[in-house]
Amino acid sequence: MSGTAIAIIGAGLCAALAGCGSAVGVMTAGKANAGVTSEKPDLFGKLLVLQALPGTQGIYGFLIAILILAKITVGMDASQGWSLFGAAMPMAIAGLVSGIAQGKTAAAAIHMTGKQPDASGKGITMTAMVETYAILALLTSILLLTKI
Amino acid sequence: MIASIKYMSILCMKEDRDRLVASLQKCGEVMVEDTDESVRNAASSADMLRRMEKLREGIKPFVPKKPLFAEIPQVEEHEFETVSESDLQKASEMERLLADIAIKKAADAADNELIRQLKPWANLNIPLEELGDSEYASFILGTVPLKRLEGFKNAVISGVMGMDIISDDEKTAYILLSVIKNESLAELAEYGFERITLPPLKGNVRDTIADLEVRTEKSNKEMAAVREKLAVLAAEGNTADLLYEQYRADYERETVPAAETNETVLIEGWVPEDRIEIAEKAIRQATEVCDIIYRDPLPGESVPTSLRSGKAVSQFESITNMFSVPSYGGTDPNKVMAPWYWIIFGLMMCDVGYGALMIVFGVLLKKLMKPKGTINQIINVILLSSVTSIIAGVLFGSYFGEVWNPILFSPLKETTKMLIFTMLIGVAHIFTGLIVKIIENIRAGKVFDAVFDQISWMLIIAGFGLIFIPAVKTIGMIIAVIGGIIVLFTAGRAKKNIFGKAVGGLVALYGISGYFSDILSYSRILALGLATGVVGMVMNMLAGMVQGPWWGYMISIVIYVVGHIFNLALGLLSAYVHDCRLQYIEFYSKFYEGNGRLFKAFSLEPKLINIKQQNGGN
Repeated sequence: MSGTAIAIIGAGLCAALAGCGSAVGVMTAGKANAGVTSEKPDLFGKLLVLQALPGTQGIYGFLIAILILAKITVGMDASQGWSLFGAAMPMAIAGLVSGIAQGKTAAAAIHMTGKQPDASGKGITMTAMVETYAILALLTSILLLTKI
Repeated sequence: MIASIKYMSILCMKEDRDRLVASLQKCGEVMVEDTDESVRNAASSADMLRRMEKLREGIKPFVPKKPLFAEIPQVEEHEFETVSESDLQKASEMERLLADIAIKKAADAADNELIRQLKPWANLNIPLEELGDSEYASFILGTVPLKRLEGFKNAVISGVMGMDIISDDEKTAYILLSVIKNESLAELAEYGFERITLPPLKGNVRDTIADLEVRTEKSNKEMAAVREKLAVLAAEGNTADLLYEQYRADYERETVPAAETNETVLIEGWVPEDRIEIAEKAIRQATEVCDIIYRDPLPGESVPTSLRSGKAVSQFESITNMFSVPSYGGTDPNKVMAPWYWIIFGLMMCDVGYGALMIVFGVLLKKLMKPKGTINQIINVILLSSVTSIIAGVLFGSYFGEVWNPILFSPLKETTKMLIFTMLIGVAHIFTGLIVKIIENIRAGKVFDAVFDQISWMLIIAGFGLIFIPAVKTIGMIIAVIGGIIVLFTAGRAKKNIFGKAVGGLVALYGISGYFSDILSYSRILALGLATGVVGMVMNMLAGMVQGPWWGYMISIVIYVVGHIFNLALGLLSAYVHDCRLQYIEFYSKFYEGNGRLFKAFSLEPKLINIKQQNGGN
């Protein structure tokens, strides 16, 4: 396989997997949000912030995919292609898993906010803790890309 | 700064209670406390409050939909204080119309149900009153499933009975059965015959249906008229909201906790020392005959915290309060947190264009919504941070995602440089936290604690940092080792035996991983800044791809506008959340405890309407 194709697969996987992670995460949080909003419509604004949090992995995955695309040239050799593929993997895998995990945390935080509206700040912090690892993966991917 | 607070006891005559409570509520400077002796009176306004709640719920479908970000309607203070007779009349008129609609709806539903029941029997040619038993025969209505109709017919014939099929639909035949009186119908039931009893009505079915239809149509017309009337009433002004808030304020006045004797009332609560004068003036206005006693908070008492900061810093208070309210007698971290929050927010947005958009949207939101409370503070924080966003944007050369003449360097091209820069910001932020703790310790006379727990770590971190600079590599190593030795030998000092001391030191030294993960955590500044920049760039790229023909430019404008607003919203959310996180987890863990209780004055706080402030306000 040509290096170009390998790199394109890498970029594609990065956007796709991280996007899937975010989609599942936002879905999980969204279900919880719908439940709480049905009882307490006033909280919708606060809850929407929590629901949006697992959405960032998808953006990060997209970002890395774009950065890789900028580096792809026609007629790359296989090792260059695999390098780009490898640089995409931290964000792709961590994006998938952390998106799902963050969604679950967000759902729990949404339930907590439903019972104690004043605790939404704490819920946001809890949810943001999970995102740290997506951010580290993003950084790793970016730093790896700068070395290619 | 945390305002010094006094405990206030107001003793007054029972007949002055209402005026006193109203005055306290209006001045809004006293936090009334529920003591062991105080009782909450049953409120006479509770019924009215419930009525207004129900009315608001009822007219909801008739109130014209408010635009997004609509301004909250305002009323004058004197308008709010007394419930106006005309408002009450209007409310009762709306209630009457609602009840009217409800009755009409119920009657309509009953009529429609009847029509539905009668419809299959429209072709029945005997009057309804003649159904049932006559002298020798019975006329019975019933249904049979179409599938079993043949069998049923045979059974009817063999049983010497008569039947007419009045009508049928897809599944069922509607049948008039004429049988000899008291004949058993058990055999017919085997074919799925089900007897149907119509409500006691008279006359021809067709005519009855026609009558009912005329009636529902008329009632529908009437209902439309009533609805229109209600819609007109509901659309003009906000009577229901105003009344609701008036009665809620009334309810709060009536249920304010107070201890009572036969003649006197005792109301107790907290008042910030700098507001005593205002509170006292309000009390004296209400009554001349009363006794006010102040005392300092007792040790161990749960004292509420009233924060006093400058105009800029106070906008950041809600961020700290979301984490934990400063405790009375503790430090108010807002003064040190606010500048850092401001700087880090700017670095996370890091774009001149988005900074400008933040100003535009911030000002627009404030103009349109006239927000209050936390939302207002958050918008102010965004407005303030637009300055740092623009500065960071100029320094790192980011304009709506495009790189242009960076003064320092472009994070996208020199990512490692930016990574180091963010880590340095992190070290500075964490050092600020440690320095606050050092000052606290020294003030408390615990100089050694400051050296052992804070300075030692600062030495370790600074030393490690210097190791990366070749010229001062050895010095850095020495500094780090000194810091490490201090931690190793002093962190276990609280332990009793020598073994505990040794283990304590080793365990504490392991905390170095905590400090490094804290510093590493600041790399999110880079990540978020890059995310905003690159997504913005992608939007520009997408817009550029469609340019060419004139309609291409039109589409590209749409992509520019929608794309950048989407990216801005996402960037703001991320920056807000992650800036909070850096303050809460990396910064506050170094010195701040909180666990306080926020001072919440007994005051007029309508949510659905705004009361016009005489003295300006923010």
